Amino acid sequence: MNMKKLILILAAFALAFPLIGAKLQVVTTYPYIAGLTEQVGGDRVDVRALAGGQWDPHTIMAKPSFIAKLRRADLLIINGAQLEIGWLPPLLNQASNPKVNVGARGLLDLSRSVKMLDVPDNVSRAHGDIHPDGNPHYYLDPHNMLPLAEAIAAKLSELDGTGVQAYRKNLADFRVQWNAKLEEWDRRLADLKGAMVIEYHQNYDYLLRRYGIELLGTIELLPGIPPTSRHIQELEAKIDNASVRFILQDVYNPDEASRHIATKHHIRLIKLPHDIGAVREADGLFSLFEEIIRRLTHD
Amino acid sequence: MKIKFLPSILLFGALAVAVPLTGGEGTGNPFAQAKFVPDISLILDSSFVIRDLEDPWFSDLFLPGFSHAGPGVRALELDEANVGKGFNLNYAELSLASVVDPYFDLFAVFHLSPEGFEIEEAYFSTRRLPAGLQIKGGKFLSQFGRINGQHSHYWDFGSPPLVQSAFFGGGGLAELGLRLSWVAPLNIFLQFAVEILQGHNEMSFGHQGFDAGGISIATVDGPGLVVATVKSSFDLGNLTVLAGISSASGKSRWPADLENDNGASAFAGTAAVFGADITFKYLFDSIRYLSLQTEVMGRTSRGDRYGLEVVNGWSVCEQRSRQEGFYSQAVARLNKRLRFGARLDLIWKNDLSFAGMTQALPKNLMRYTAMGEWNPTEFSRLRLQYTYDRSRYEESGGIWRQRPVHELTLQVNITIGAHGAHAF
Ligand SMILES: [Zn+2]
Repeated sequence: MNMKKLILILAAFALAFPLIGAKLQVVTTYPYIAGLTEQVGGDRVDVRALAGGQWDPHTIMAKPSFIAKLRRADLLIINGAQLEIGWLPPLLNQASNPKVNVGARGLLDLSRSVKMLDVPDNVSRAHGDIHPDGNPHYYLDPHNMLPLAEAIAAKLSELDGTGVQAYRKNLADFRVQWNAKLEEWDRRLADLKGAMVIEYHQNYDYLLRRYGIELLGTIELLPGIPPTSRHIQELEAKIDNASVRFILQDVYNPDEASRHIATKHHIRLIKLPHDIGAVREADGLFSLFEEIIRRLTHD
Repeated sequence: MKIKFLPSILLFGALAVAVPLTGGEGTGNPFAQAKFVPDISLILDSSFVIRDLEDPWFSDLFLPGFSHAGPGVRALELDEANVGKGFNLNYAELSLASVVDPYFDLFAVFHLSPEGFEIEEAYFSTRRLPAGLQIKGGKFLSQFGRINGQHSHYWDFGSPPLVQSAFFGGGGLAELGLRLSWVAPLNIFLQFAVEILQGHNEMSFGHQGFDAGGISIATVDGPGLVVATVKSSFDLGNLTVLAGISSASGKSRWPADLENDNGASAFAGTAAVFGADITFKYLFDSIRYLSLQTEVMGRTSRGDRYGLEVVNGWSVCEQRSRQEGFYSQAVARLNKRLRFGARLDLIWKNDLSFAGMTQALPKNLMRYTAMGEWNPTEFSRLRLQYTYDRSRYEESGGIWRQRPVHELTLQVNITIGAHGAHAF
């Protein structure tokens, strides 16, 4: 065997095998969590998100490659509140990684760090594929990012004691930058207080409530159930008696019904990213919210 | 493993005890256990079948050569669901799952049907083994190939592929035993697994001994079956590829009531089934996908054939078989509610020999299936399926005659309880 061949084989192995280093291997379910973890973890962590930001977070395809990622994780950070219920549990079982299995120290559920809205008193699927632990789309309120970052910093410090100083510093830096942004975003969204909107799915409720924006109704009939023509008629009747500013549409649900209503009632239709990677401009944590706010305030 | 009604009564009795406990908290019961009730779900599967052949005739048809004994396997033994014309209650599937403690998870799936109570699966799996290892123990669906490990309500069609039911029966390879699997620490998914199983599968790996004219063939003491699988998967953008190879080999017994069943024969020997599968799934967006799936399977067996013939009396001779086939399917999801699919089944090789003499068996057993699904939500499904089946034969006096069957099935599948996550 000549030298060239040997080098090629070694290179192939190096590509196939992960680099075993001192870095903490963090897997997150969604890209926004990866973005946040990079802010806090800096260069002490290797972060990978399982789901792509362009996909519907409720129904991510459970790819076997996710098992390979989960198998090697030191820490798994999830959104929680049952957003991952339809795809993550069997992958976790198959990965059988004692570090990140349910109950292990290396599993962090971020929904425990924020106050959940709309926790139903009683649950029935007659109301659609509802979220029994409350609306899980809490991360689309930019003010919720700070408690989430704190939870991640605390967990990283717990698992990687030698990095405590670094995580503390990264968190402090992030807090300063984020607070500056929050001030700006709060100012820009203040004008929308009292405005009336329609959403496709209750994706942006936390954002709407933070800024006093009112929700008239959803395009979908019930959570996860596509609109019927009768439901659209009822929604249109409500529109006639209200002054609706926007229709908020995510990137993954069909937008025919939203477009129909927007044209017919001369309402602006805004496509909002729901995660990093959902639209080209939202390529990081700051730009995700920057883009949401730009699209909401741009006339 | 079909038992009559007593266990089901016991099971429902146990649930009836569990349910009042869930009301405990509000009334301040200090011993309330509600939070420990496992994830429970119930799936109902029923159908309406239209077929161009009366039930008694249909159940007399054979899949030629697919048994170690007799002329073939009666159609009825291959089918677990949608058997009769008109309404069918295929099953009510009760499943329970929970974390046991820091070390184990437990899963159990019970099939309740008019025929009785069946433990489809009841197994534990480990949660703390290091280095990507996992052990599963109990009764479980073997991970052989692509289809076998999936419960029937996850299938894309209302019937199993022809090779699957020909080699493993309508209920698949569900066995008692242990499974050890290892996921390699790579960026792509690569998993190796070995299963040591009891070997009770009636189609390929029976264990029951029998008597043949004063010769007594002993029952196989378990475990009598070993399954090994290698699976790998990787993503290329929005395309996911999953491929695997599997083998199952073990001892084989096919008993028959030789004294009373004229023309039947019994078999004792060994059998091996080999499988290779590949799936391509391309996601267009969060909702729409196209998936192509193919599985090739082959079986070889050799051993002794025991028969009782009117003229010659008892006979023993060497029996060998070699059978190969595949299925290929395409399934497209068009929106949240609609899915369409088509499947081609073919068994192209069907060689059987007694004492070196090749038996004249039909080859190229074929079946065409097409389906359309309407899913109001993830919890309810209506499926219309058309099958043109050219794999079933009538036999008389050693002459095989094909009997094509047209079948239309409307199937309803409804789930309540815990949210089942979808495997790939
Ligand atoms: Zn939701």
